[in-house]
This record gives sequence, C-alpha cells and structure tokens, in this order.
Amino acid sequence: MSFLTDPRGTLGDLTRPEAWVLGVSVAFLLLLFVALLAGALGPTYFLFLVGLAGMYALLSFGLNSQWGFTGLINFSVAAFFGVGAYGAALMTADSSPIAGGFNPLVGLIVGLSVAFVLAVLIGIPTLRLRADYLAIASLGLAEVVRLVVLNERWLTNGSAGLRGIPSFFAGWPVLSTFPQAMPGLRLEVVPGSPIFLEAPFWRASLNVLLVLGFAGATYFVLRRAHRSPWGRVLRTIRSDEDLARALGKNTYSFKMQSFVLGSLIMALAGVFYTHLNLYVGPGDLDPITTFYVWVAVILGGSGSNRGALFGGIVIVTIREGTRFLNDFAVPIDPAPLRLLLIGILIVVVMRYRPQGILPPQRELIWPSAVDGSGTPDRPASGVRERKRSDDLENRSENAENRSDDRDGNGPNGGDDDE
Amino acid sequence: MTVLGYLANGLVFSSIIVLGSIGLSLVYSIADFANFAHGDTMTIGAYSALVTFGAVGGLGGAVLGLPYGFFLALIVGIAVAAVVAVGTEKLIYEPLDIDSIGLLITSIGIAFIYRAVIQIRFGADFTRFGVEPLRPIEWLIPYGIRVTRHDVAIVASAAVLVVGLHVLLQYTDLGRKMRAMADNPDLARVSGIRTKRVKLWTWVIGAGLAGAGGVFLGLFNQLSPRMGFNLLLVIFAAVILGGIGSVYGAMAGGFLIGMINQLTPLLSRLGEVLPLVPDGFGIPIGIEYANAIAFVIMVAVLLVRPNGIAGEGAT
Amino acid sequence: MSDSANATTERTESGESDATGGPQIGAVAGKDDAVLRVDDLQKSFGGLTATDHATFEVERGTITGLIGPNGAGKSTIFNLISGFYEPDGGTVTVNGTDVTGMEPYEVAEHGLVRTFQTPRKLEGMTVREAMLVGPRNQPGESFLNLFTSPGTVGDSESANLADAERILADFEIDHLATQPATDISGGQMKLVELARAMLAEPEVLLLDEPVAGVNPTLAKKLKTQIRRLNERGTTFVLIEHDMEFVMDLADPIVVLDQGSVLTEGTPEAVRSDDRVIDAYLGGGA
Repeated sequence: MSFLTDPRGTLGDLTRPEAWVLGVSVAFLLLLFVALLAGALGPTYFLFLVGLAGMYALLSFGLNSQWGFTGLINFSVAAFFGVGAYGAALMTADSSPIAGGFNPLVGLIVGLSVAFVLAVLIGIPTLRLRADYLAIASLGLAEVVRLVVLNERWLTNGSAGLRGIPSFFAGWPVLSTFPQAMPGLRLEVVPGSPIFLEAPFWRASLNVLLVLGFAGATYFVLRRAHRSPWGRVLRTIRSDEDLARALGKNTYSFKMQSFVLGSLIMALAGVFYTHLNLYVGPGDLDPITTFYVWVAVILGGSGSNRGALFGGIVIVTIREGTRFLNDFAVPIDPAPLRLLLIGILIVVVMRYRPQGILPPQRELIWPSAVDGSGTPDRPASGVRERKRSDDLENRSENAENRSDDRDGNGPNGGDDDE
Repeated sequence: MTVLGYLANGLVFSSIIVLGSIGLSLVYSIADFANFAHGDTMTIGAYSALVTFGAVGGLGGAVLGLPYGFFLALIVGIAVAAVVAVGTEKLIYEPLDIDSIGLLITSIGIAFIYRAVIQIRFGADFTRFGVEPLRPIEWLIPYGIRVTRHDVAIVASAAVLVVGLHVLLQYTDLGRKMRAMADNPDLARVSGIRTKRVKLWTWVIGAGLAGAGGVFLGLFNQLSPRMGFNLLLVIFAAVILGGIGSVYGAMAGGFLIGMINQLTPLLSRLGEVLPLVPDGFGIPIGIEYANAIAFVIMVAVLLVRPNGIAGEGAT
Repeated sequence: MSDSANATTERTESGESDATGGPQIGAVAGKDDAVLRVDDLQKSFGGLTATDHATFEVERGTITGLIGPNGAGKSTIFNLISGFYEPDGGTVTVNGTDVTGMEPYEVAEHGLVRTFQTPRKLEGMTVREAMLVGPRNQPGESFLNLFTSPGTVGDSESANLADAERILADFEIDHLATQPATDISGGQMKLVELARAMLAEPEVLLLDEPVAGVNPTLAKKLKTQIRRLNERGTTFVLIEHDMEFVMDLADPIVVLDQGSVLTEGTPEAVRSDDRVIDAYLGGGA
C-alpha cells in the first residue's frame, strides 16, 4: 500500500522481509494471472477471491487498530463481522423476517450502529481491567451473538440464514444496471479454453471496486490516525499504560475509542461480505473467522497496516488452498486442516517472530511536522527487533534497584523478570 | 422435572465444571496466563479415555454401573492430559520469550492444534463411551430426580479428586509452595522456592483434573472434538466468579456456574419455584442460552467485583 | 510478568470495593506555598499497613527528598499521591485542589506528574516520538480533530516537536532523537523520562529513583538538570536510595519509616537525627 502512495521512495529502502514479501506477492499474483489467462481459474471466481481477500484485509485493519495499536485482545472479531453482515442482510434481503427491501445504505448504517453499541457494552466492564479480561469476555460475547443468531428465528431466520440479498449497488443510478448493460466478452488467450466476461463478471468487478473503496478509505483513516498524537497515545498504552496515565492521558477513553473504531471496521467488512456472498448464515459467525484474522494480524506484524493487507492474502490462500488440497491431493477434511494450520501458524509466529513479518518501522510523526526536520533515520533492522538484547542489558542494570524495592507494589516496580 | 431434579443435575454438571475451573485457575495464577487451551485439554482426556476403554474393555466387574475398565480409562485420560500439558509447557510455552499476553495468544494456537488433531483422527461427529446406558435410579424417581448411577459416580469421583487436591494444598510441602506462588510469584521466587518445579506440578495437576473433567463430560453428555472449547467460556466464567488465582474460589465459582447452567429451565417459571414471586413470573429464556447466562454473570461480576465474589483485597 | 496489569487490578480492587469517590473535605485553599499536601494518608494491603497516617507538605519551588529504609512505604506514597492507588483514608491536595480518589490522568491535569522507577521502553518508537507523548491535551489526541482540523494538529505537532528537540538539546542528548527508544541505555532512558515529563509542564514532578542504575556521569547530568529546572520554577519530590545524591540535591528531606513520617528537616538535621539512624539500622521491619 505504501508502495502505491510513494512508489519511488519505497522501493529503494525495502528491508529484507519487505522485499521478500513483495517478491512472494508478485510471484503469487503472476501465477494467478497466468492461471486466469489459461482459463484454469474462472475470472469471476478470481474476482470473488480478490473480494474475499479485501474483506479479510478490512477485518485485519479492524483488529489491528485494537490489538496492533493499543494491545486490546478482541476474540470476537466474528461477532462484530456477523453483526455487520446480519445488520445489512436483515435490512435488505427479501427473506428478512423483520424488515427487508431497504436500500443497502440503510443496512450499512444499521450494521455499524449495532456494532457500535455492542462494542461500548463489552468495553465498559472490561477496558478498565487487565488486558486478558477483554480476551475472555470477548470470546464469550462472540458465543452469545452466535447463539442469538442461531436461535432467534423470528429475527434472523435461524440456521436457514438469509437469502435474496441484493447487490450493494441495487437502487443506485447507473451502477445498479451496470452488469447487465455491459456487453458479454469472449477472450481466447490459450486456444481452446476461452474466457467469458459476462454479467456475473461485471457484478464481481463492482464488488472488487466496493471493497477497494472500503479498504482504501479505512487505510487512509488508519494511516492518519496511526501517525497522529492520538495513535501515539494508543501505542504508549500498548507498551506501558501506567506511563500514559501518569502523563495525563485518559487511557480508558482512548482504549474505548480504539476498540469501537476497530469494531466498526469489522462490521464494515461484514456489510461487504453480505453483498459479496449474497447469503449469510450462522456458520459465518464461527470463531474460526476470528482467528483467521488474528493470524493475519500477528503474521503481518501487529500495528502494521501493510502487514494486515499481506495477512489478508495469506488467509484466503489457506482457506482456498485447503479446499484445493482436499479436492485434488490429500483427502483430508479441510475444516480440521485449516484449524491445524491456523494453530501452527499462531504458535510458530509467537515462537520465532512475535513482532510479525512486517512490523511497523517508520517513525510515526504527523507528516507536516517532520517536513522541516529532514527525513528521519530509519533503523535498518526495525525498531522492534532490538528489544531482546536490550532488555537483557537493562535487566542487569535494574537488578540492583529491584532488590531494594520491598514495597513491591509500585506500578512499575519489579516488572519484566521471570 | 422438579426443582430437586434440576438441582441434582446441577450437582453432576457442577462437578465437571469444578474440575475444569480448578485447573484453569491454578495455571492462571502460577503459570501466569489465561490458558485458552484448557478446554481442549479436557477433550484430550475424554478421547484418550475413549481409546483406552475401547481397547481394554470392561475388565470384569463394575462399580456404580461403570466397568473397571472405565476407571482405568479415566486414569489414562488424566495421565494423557497431564503429559500433553507438560509436554506443551516444555516444548512451547517455556522457550517463549514473551509476556503473559503473548502466552495467551499462543495458547489459542495450541487449543486449535489439539482440537484439529482429534478431529482429523476421530471426525467431527459425536460419539459415546461404550458403556451400557443406565435407567435413572428407581427410588429417587418419585422425588422427581432422574439421575443414573453413572451420575453418582461422576459426583463421587469429582469429590475424591477435590478432597485430594485440598489435602495436597493444605498439608504437603508442594501444596504450600503452590499456594505461595499463586499468592505472590515474585516473593516465592525470592524465598527460594524452585518455581520451575512447582510450575510443572501445577500443569500436571491442572491438566489432570481437566482430563478427568473431560472424561466425565463425555460420560454425562457425549464426546465431540468441540466439547472442551464449547465449555471454555463456562469455565472462565466460573474462574472469574471465584476470583482468578483462588483455587477455592474456583471451586465455589464452578459449583455456582454449573448449578445455574442446569437450572436455566427453571428461570422461565420462577414464579412456581420461588415462594414470594407471583406464579406467572419468569425470565423467558431457553435452555439453549445456558452458556449465555454464564457470560452475563461473568460480565456482571467484572463490572461490580472484578476480583470475584470471594475476592477481597490481595489474592 | 506484566506489572502494570497487576497495578491496575490492585487499583481497581481497592478503588471499587471500598472507596466512595473520595471525601470532598473542602480543600481549604491552604497556604499558597504548599503545592502538595499529604494529610493523614492511610493505605493497607490485606493485613499489611503500607502507609500509616502519613502527613507532610511540599513547598512550592523546593526539591523535597523522600527517604526511608526499605519497606518504609515510599513507593506506596507516590502511588497514592499520583492516583495509582486509592487511599483508605486521608487526603492529597495539589495546588489547593483535593485530588484524593482521582484518576492519575486527572491528577496530572492538576499539575502533578510522576516518573517511574523502571521505565518500560516504548516499543516501535524513536526517542523523539517517545518524547512527544509528554505534552498534555494535544489537539491531535482527539480523533475527530485529525480529520476536521488537520492544520491545527500539524501546528501543535510542529511546536511540540520543536519543544522536544530543544529540551533534548538542553539535556545534551539530542543525538539520540531519532534512535529507537528501545535502543538507548537505562541511564539515557532516565534522562529521556525526565525530559518527557517536563513536556507535560508539571508544577510538581515526582521522581521515583531518578538515578537508580544510572552511571555516575549521567547521574551528575541528571542532578544538574533537576537543579536547573527547579530554578526555573518546577517543584520536585524525589525518592532516592543514593544518599549522597539526595542529600546534595534535596532540601528539605522527609524521612519515612513504617509508613509514617518519622521526621523532616534540612539534610544536616536529618543526617544527625538519631531516630533516622535507628530506623535505617533497624531495617524497618
């Protein structure tokens, strides 16, 4: 993404992992492109996958603004996603038991509003406490939301789910009829396997545009927020909440803002999913969705929006890759295989690269403020990587005063040992 | 069913939750992180027992309607859960150089690995132990209590384990060290307790109890790869209710949450049950929301008493 | 492991269970020269009394030293004053306002800022980024402002950055400005902490062991800076185990023992006080 906004500057000073990720991504895209031209991969399906990747990137942005920026552990990504998806579906779908037939924009607003309320309700009891309380409570919230969706048939249609969902652009001028209005095309790059580009293809293109719009806007907002004093307070809270409090920051309020913002982004992803998939069911609220997103964020690098984007692509690869494996190579049920892969990825990342593949590395100061003082030196190995050795050094330094501190109750007294 | 009947069911289910919550609470305070793999440790215990019981069979006699072989399977379930937990601690958690939040996230990965392996091996469907299902105990039926001798076995075994743990904590050197460490890990380390060893024993005991809980859960309901993960929320609710780090709090919390869970059907006809409440009154909530009630209680506790109902001041 | 987490729970338990929002004993504006007043402060953990009816005043413009043997309750008092703990009884008055029972950020709003004994390093930040956390009430700390008035945010950020760089230069550590904050030594971190706290423009600054684990050269530098900032009007209260450091820098000195004030006075008076010697020798059990 930063590549898109500043192509010349970025290519020059890529770190090794950045270059590596870029290389793999480009190779992967080329592979897909070849498959596309050869007719092995249907263009409409391809666009569906792109939409899905965009959706996961959006979810990752949401989690990133909670966990990555502020260190909030939200295990109910699936719930906020589901609330967005169901909010949109219930407002727009033909089969909606309560409303239905509204403009998709109404669904968007309803989905986001419910997510907002839910985020505040779960934030109030947990955000004043230790970080792990939010983890536990949010896992519970996810389960409750899933139970409600599954059991309240009068509201959600229960396990049957919701069908008859219009495209997001239904009722818009021009765009609502665009897929039908476009001429059908037939391309034949490899002789014998022609590619058809017809109404479904154009519909899928619109969806990709939509998710690009959502993700682009979110990325813009998050980038600005991340580089601002607001984001700096969040990052301080992540490392040392007591420090932020001592410096006069109302950390509870900041945590709440960060939590609500992330939850809204997740709900936005849900709204998009509804209009991409045109069906939502209780299965979409399975906790596995939550942990797909967690893998994306910790793999990409907590706090790094580029990383989140990369993580989104990895997830779609896992999801579709396991399906492919099951179809063609090893006949293992994809569900536990995905679970296993997700589990192993979590453990491996935490073991070998807890900072993720693309940790945020650039100095984050409001752009106009640093213009005058020249380009900051960018640490070649990344700011986070030096932590370990440094801590060791520091530990011996502090050993002396720690043994003195029998009061032991100081907010910062005697930390980081073990 | 009568109120007594629900209470009896509650007692059985509580025994299982208590076994789960003790272990979670112990590990929470001594290994210092919220172990999200605890539910799946229960699943491991259950499936290990399933395999063992399938292999050894009844072995002749029976106690409380359960063949000897089942008790052997129970012991194997406990042992396997403990061994897997210790192995995970040694191989995964111990070498990690991250804080308790990092460990928490890692434990989610561990939970998925446990569950995935079981699901790949046994499939996602429900199974049962190959134990003859029993009819409810005859002489209790007039009181509206429909429990089997298996249920009695569950409660009795859980009671034995809990009393054993109590003796261990109160009267042995290891127990004293464990309590000291749960109370204040730093102080314990300073005062020369070999914390690593105590931690290892904590895993053994915590996971062993979880394994037993898993076996009983399989006997009470049935087995499925998700059984433990589905129970995790209820167990966390019990631990938070009792106050994180307090073993006896976890017992009390587990008991209460287990009871409430099984008493859910009564909520819709509170009026008939409680003396002072008008007859038509009730909270209309279905049994499918039993886990949601645990969640609501947990959030309420966090709001009012973040240190649990018993928690006052320091752990 | 994560100690801030512990402190937070501890705060909440004491805060939520027994406190009632703090008594509103009408902060009689008091003598103008007392910028901080601690009156009959009490705090116990479980059965252990950490602060036992402690009472003392800090005069505006002083550098007040807070000393005492191990376990005397110095850290607890700091936590009580700065709002990290809620007292069981007594009041804390900052600038004539009763701040008892307030959140730390509210106490900071009233002009009292503190540092920590072992500052944790801010991951992923450069030193000057870490410095920029200091200024209070930045326009850019409001999420809405980022989009409605980016110009204002930018102006204040520029001004704060200039301030940060100026104060780093004053401290002679401006060469560290763009280093990762995780990359500097513990002693340098202490300097950065002091510098950052100054950006919050405190009237009273509580320093928790400013030279613990700091090498002598840097300690000397710290002493110079504290003195210089004090001459410009900041009041300091410091806990320090290094007797030489504290006796040289602070006047008056408050001696704590077993949670209450044993005596206070000039360094000379304290040094020659038999009770103080006894307290130190007795080990303050």
